[in-house]
Amino acid sequence: MERGCDRSKRSYRSTRSLRKERTKIHDISRKKEEGLLNILPQDWMPLPCLDDHPSPIKPLTEEQKERVESSLDGISALGLPKPKNKEEEKKLVESFLRGLKKLLSQNDNWTFWQPLIHSLESCVKCQTCNDACPIYVSSGKQEIYRPTYRGEVLRRIINKYLKKGGRTLSKLKGEDIELNWATIARLAELAYRCTLCRRCAQWCPLGSDNGLITREIRKLFSQEMGIAPKEVHDAGTVQHLKVGASTGISPQAFENMIEFMEDEIEEKTGKRIKVPVDREEADILLIHNSGEFMSWIENPVAFAILFEAAGLRWTLSSEIYGYEATNYGTWYDDIQFARIALKQIEVAKKLKVKKIVMGECGHAHKGLIIIADRILVDDMNFPRESFLPLLAELVCNDKIKLDPARNNFFVTLHDPCNMVRLMGIVEPQRQILKKICPQFREMEPHGVENYCCGGGSGFAIMSNMNFPDWRVHLSGRMKLKQILNVFQDVIEPENKKYVCAPCSNCKGQIRDLLSDYNVGEKYKIRYGGLVELVVNAMVDIEKPFIEWE
Amino acid sequence: MGGVILFIFYGSILFCVIASIIKIVKYTTAPLHLRWELYRGSSVYELPDGWNKANLTFWQKLKTVILDVSFLREYYHRNKKFWTFLYLFHVGLYLLIFWHAWIFIRAITGNMESASILGLVWGHGATVLAFMGGAGILIQRIINEDLKVYYPSIHYVKWIFMLVTVLGAFYAVDVHFNAQMPTLLKYVRGQVTFQDLEHKLHPALAPASHVLFASVWLIYFPFSHIMQLFFRYYHHLRWDDVPNARGSGIERRVKELLDLPITWSAPHIQSGKKWKEVATEVKDLTGVQGR
Repeated sequence: MERGCDRSKRSYRSTRSLRKERTKIHDISRKKEEGLLNILPQDWMPLPCLDDHPSPIKPLTEEQKERVESSLDGISALGLPKPKNKEEEKKLVESFLRGLKKLLSQNDNWTFWQPLIHSLESCVKCQTCNDACPIYVSSGKQEIYRPTYRGEVLRRIINKYLKKGGRTLSKLKGEDIELNWATIARLAELAYRCTLCRRCAQWCPLGSDNGLITREIRKLFSQEMGIAPKEVHDAGTVQHLKVGASTGISPQAFENMIEFMEDEIEEKTGKRIKVPVDREEADILLIHNSGEFMSWIENPVAFAILFEAAGLRWTLSSEIYGYEATNYGTWYDDIQFARIALKQIEVAKKLKVKKIVMGECGHAHKGLIIIADRILVDDMNFPRESFLPLLAELVCNDKIKLDPARNNFFVTLHDPCNMVRLMGIVEPQRQILKKICPQFREMEPHGVENYCCGGGSGFAIMSNMNFPDWRVHLSGRMKLKQILNVFQDVIEPENKKYVCAPCSNCKGQIRDLLSDYNVGEKYKIRYGGLVELVVNAMVDIEKPFIEWE
Repeated sequence: MGGVILFIFYGSILFCVIASIIKIVKYTTAPLHLRWELYRGSSVYELPDGWNKANLTFWQKLKTVILDVSFLREYYHRNKKFWTFLYLFHVGLYLLIFWHAWIFIRAITGNMESASILGLVWGHGATVLAFMGGAGILIQRIINEDLKVYYPSIHYVKWIFMLVTVLGAFYAVDVHFNAQMPTLLKYVRGQVTFQDLEHKLHPALAPASHVLFASVWLIYFPFSHIMQLFFRYYHHLRWDDVPNARGSGIERRVKELLDLPITWSAPHIQSGKKWKEVATEVKDLTGVQGR
């Protein structure tokens, strides 16, 4: 094997050829079954370090094509059934227009009316945001993934169908668009080709937020038409509200997991500790993404070891809703969002804890700490904060004995969008890593200019038909490129490499990227959270906490 | 004819003021929305108990606005190619706005005969910058594939009209007023003090055209992106991080909003009930399946 790698040999198809094929806004109304985009691997952004001849995205079967809508790009995130007849199609179009009116009404959509209206009105079409979008760039700049495409579709529908004289003016301005089932079905799918990372909004000199426009389109479909990905709604928020967690973990199952955690702690540290559960009047109620208990138990285990070692008065909750930090409503539905946030706060109130601390879950941070702030009143407005300031305080003030030599491998940091760009928590995680990881290196770009992992806004859990294939090949491509680039000079497998991703969704996505491209095993790159690295450096623990095999 | 121009000009000023007030009222009376801000760097959430702290002081915000607006910093950082002509245009525009303000004040306060040639240089310099910037933007919008995408045709007309306005101003100052500051100042003084009614009612073509062009821009101003920029960008995307403290005005407004009925129709939403009722009930959660 050659040392390092700089093998981004394959080139994009020429921009000129793409220009000839540019999809127009009004194409979204095209009634033909064929997709607006035929996704071809030769268009994709090349990756370093790989013999990059990617296989095409798995096409839908003929039966699936017959049954569900896929006329956007041949992908189905929603499994949206086709209308059975003209009458049904007409009803769906009417329902969409009713929802759109509500979206633009101050009272019906008070939650996001103002930023939505300003985002729709303030875009000057300078396309500065385009290159900020990892999906648009990774796809080889396909028109339908341009961050401004879906906003422009919505704007033209509003101008034509909801404004006085709109039909005539739209024709005169050359901005005509037809609102039919094809438009609606494609727009619904298109709302799930953006991870809501809002890097485009960060780039926009006028502050037009295409991420918000996308979220509001999702909301229209969910709140008015009852259309949402089943993993996010049925198996997500609905299951969360019925059972207690979006993973389906019941309070009884959670109690069993605590026992399992204690066994794990004993195995890792040689000491058995009692994990505090439902301790009233504790200083801290720690809430994890329940996916951690299912897939990465080492993360809650590491939190427990650290908090006990630091002598904190903390607790977990086994109450229904008390052991689940996620709130998938953040991504698509204000009402589901509010329901879940209120349930989480009620648990903390009942336990009479001093504050809620969110574990390693990005959207849960943004959701409960920031967005929920304006639905919580009186004693429901409960103190809540990120685990990061607390962890930085423990590590940087030497409250735990740590030996950085134990983390003497190459470490890079993935910044979860929700914690960093959307909350401004940038430095604590860096202070920790610089203190405990002698070979820490930043990927580029990082901090508030980071790229999304590609699994944001529900993508990491959405598994409908060929959508996961699209996610790994396109929405996560930029993140994989960043990871390979940052380790390029030490890519050989004898060098151990760790991608620190302090967010469950991001971890899930990075797991899939490393595994599907077979780079995790081939180049010895593993991923994990931040607390695992801290515990791995603890001098009081004999065995390494992080396992490489 | 002169009467019509007068009507249009003063009418456009009135329209600009009223439409701007309506826009501001629409903005200030809009319902409080949920928080959705973005950050350029570290925030108070890096601090323990940061959840109830506000991020920036008024002076920090003002400094950012002044620097952003003066130098178009975001464009400079994100899109340098576009920034060059945009900046030329905006510098020209800012200088022209100040020049017009200066000329109105100078015309009624100072000795016109002693008016410095620098005033003329200032006006010409600003006009040249605005013209170069405007022409550059127009050309970029015509030839650059990305800048053409979704750009409404009416905006091409807008830029052409901008160039015509600037050229008209050149013509008025250099040909009609012979590039003589005292002549120009006398004319302006006559206009703003209503001393020269004859000129007002029977204006010469060059200044009349300029006034007409200016009227069109005054009518356009309330709908321009300048208004959007301030309200949207500075108040809601970057700095909408005022915490909802107990007993605060924000909490009072949130309580009012939670009393609003929910009108959405999907099966999992009990339409017609109030927000606070729906958000606290979890029964009847019909799954959303396809549709």
